[in-house]
Amino acid sequence: MSTSSIRQLQTTVTYIILIAAALILLFPLLFALSIALQGETITPQILPNLRNLDWGVFANVLQQQPDLVRWIINSFVVSSLVTIGVMITSSLAAYAFAYLEFWGKQILFVLVLGTLMIPFETTLIPNYLFVSQLGWHDSYQGLVVPFLASGFGIFLLRQYFLTIPRELHEAAKMDGCGHTRYLWRFMLPLSRPALATLGLYTFLATWNQFYWPLLVTDSTQWRTTQIGIAIFHTSEVQVLNIQMAATLIILIPTLIPLIFGQRQLVRGLTAGILKD
Amino acid sequence: MQQRTRVHDQEVGIPRSAITVTRADRSWRQVRVSKKLRETGLALLYLAPVLVLFGLFSYFPFFRALYLSLNITNEIGVPVKFVGLQYYQRILNLNGVDDEYLRSLLTSFEFALMVVLLQIICGLGLAWLALAKVRGIGIFRTIFTSSIAISLASASVIWALIFDPSTNATNALVNFLHLPQPGLLTNVQTALPSIAVMTVWSGLGFNFVISLAGMQAIPEELYESASLDGAGRWALFRHITLPLLTPILLFLLVVNTIQSFQTFTQFNVLMNGPGPAGATNVFIYAIYQVFWFDHRYGFAASMSIVLFVILLVLGTMQIVFLGRRVHYR
Repeated sequence: MSTSSIRQLQTTVTYIILIAAALILLFPLLFALSIALQGETITPQILPNLRNLDWGVFANVLQQQPDLVRWIINSFVVSSLVTIGVMITSSLAAYAFAYLEFWGKQILFVLVLGTLMIPFETTLIPNYLFVSQLGWHDSYQGLVVPFLASGFGIFLLRQYFLTIPRELHEAAKMDGCGHTRYLWRFMLPLSRPALATLGLYTFLATWNQFYWPLLVTDSTQWRTTQIGIAIFHTSEVQVLNIQMAATLIILIPTLIPLIFGQRQLVRGLTAGILKD
Repeated sequence: MQQRTRVHDQEVGIPRSAITVTRADRSWRQVRVSKKLRETGLALLYLAPVLVLFGLFSYFPFFRALYLSLNITNEIGVPVKFVGLQYYQRILNLNGVDDEYLRSLLTSFEFALMVVLLQIICGLGLAWLALAKVRGIGIFRTIFTSSIAISLASASVIWALIFDPSTNATNALVNFLHLPQPGLLTNVQTALPSIAVMTVWSGLGFNFVISLAGMQAIPEELYESASLDGAGRWALFRHITLPLLTPILLFLLVVNTIQSFQTFTQFNVLMNGPGPAGATNVFIYAIYQVFWFDHRYGFAASMSIVLFVILLVLGTMQIVFLGRRVHYR
């Protein structure tokens, strides 16, 4: 065999393995799609009847389950508010740690990093009691406010701010630019990659939250998508196609940012373990 | 003296020629103090939102959890009787009465072991595959990453149907294993491994991305020179990739372990209970039951403090490992 045909064989084998791996990984999603397209049945098949696919199920589910739309709106509102809030509070705090000199800086920074060591589950019970006391069940503030500060966000942005040359600040100061304006006009635009990473990461994490919204939402209309879909699963055991269609619909808002923002996301995930 | 002055000048950003050296030291120190005073005010203003939020939702609840864990509480979470460390004794079974919670901890460890090993091995394998230089590899990389974007709740709902006997997806496996009950989730031996498989699938995107980034950071020349010396693909992996990837693997080991200890969603959606003979009653789920169904806030708080200690140890290991990597590079 010639070298070129050996190479061709190698490429073919590589493709076969890649496609096999992709199919195995995609199996749950394909399975969900297959169930969704089969129409209402109590004995679903692994593969649907290709001549009789029920694509209307996606429109039907939105019509039949008005709650689903409300859940998606809830998740969007909560995730957006948390994302914007975290970006604002983290930028301000990160700027203070990166550029200002003040008493207690070290201690406060340790306190901020310390929050990363306190697991969500340990503060869960007191937080639940506190939020109940405030009467924040079934409200946006109950879902948003506890997550508005992020130790990870502050750390990430501080590290990024430190890479921006100090001379820029000196120059801006010469021109009479104060700290607040400098942060707003120079630092934030220059830190767009880091902010995008933080924003994407926060949005996905909030969108996917399960435990906390499960505790602080009681009525159907205040559920977020994740809780809604899980409760939908236990309450509508029979209509598998509707269940899977609803599940696939709520995946779209996170799959799209992943496909377009993969680089930012990867940068966020590898922050701190790899140098750029 | 001269040197110190120069340092000060640079920090304030004024050319050295503009000041006289002898009087400079004192006056610049005054300027520095007043500058620091001014910036302290500004810094507190900038930090106020996060300090208030961390105070209210991290530190206050943390100390409150510690306090609650030493008390019997009523149904709205108010301490009614101080019991000291009794709850901790109960969890760790120091009195030898019943080992329910110790077993639950053990289940968590078992679960973590299965998930972490499988996740790292599969992630590495996928990353190695995705290094192939063929056309369209970007599409495969996106597919391999995709599970990052699929929430645990959606994944759980889909996998619930995969495991459901009525969909026939896993029945062949059930028959092959000669299981007494229909469905993988209703058998003592297969329930926990089934959830582990589902969890591995869910976490694979993350493990893949990290492993791939680590592999891409390895200089190409190393492989080239080893290939010239006649090393095969396996030898390259074994003697170049793996050793250079050690810090990444340690990172994944610790992060995955911490995450699998915190796994809650799939146990809630797929099992909705402690599982057959408590087979899937991981510690997080045991806390949830004591807290949510029994309303024993004090006891649940003490369990959550035990979890905190375990995660703290794991987190410290993470810092030590990461610190070592930075040191070596």
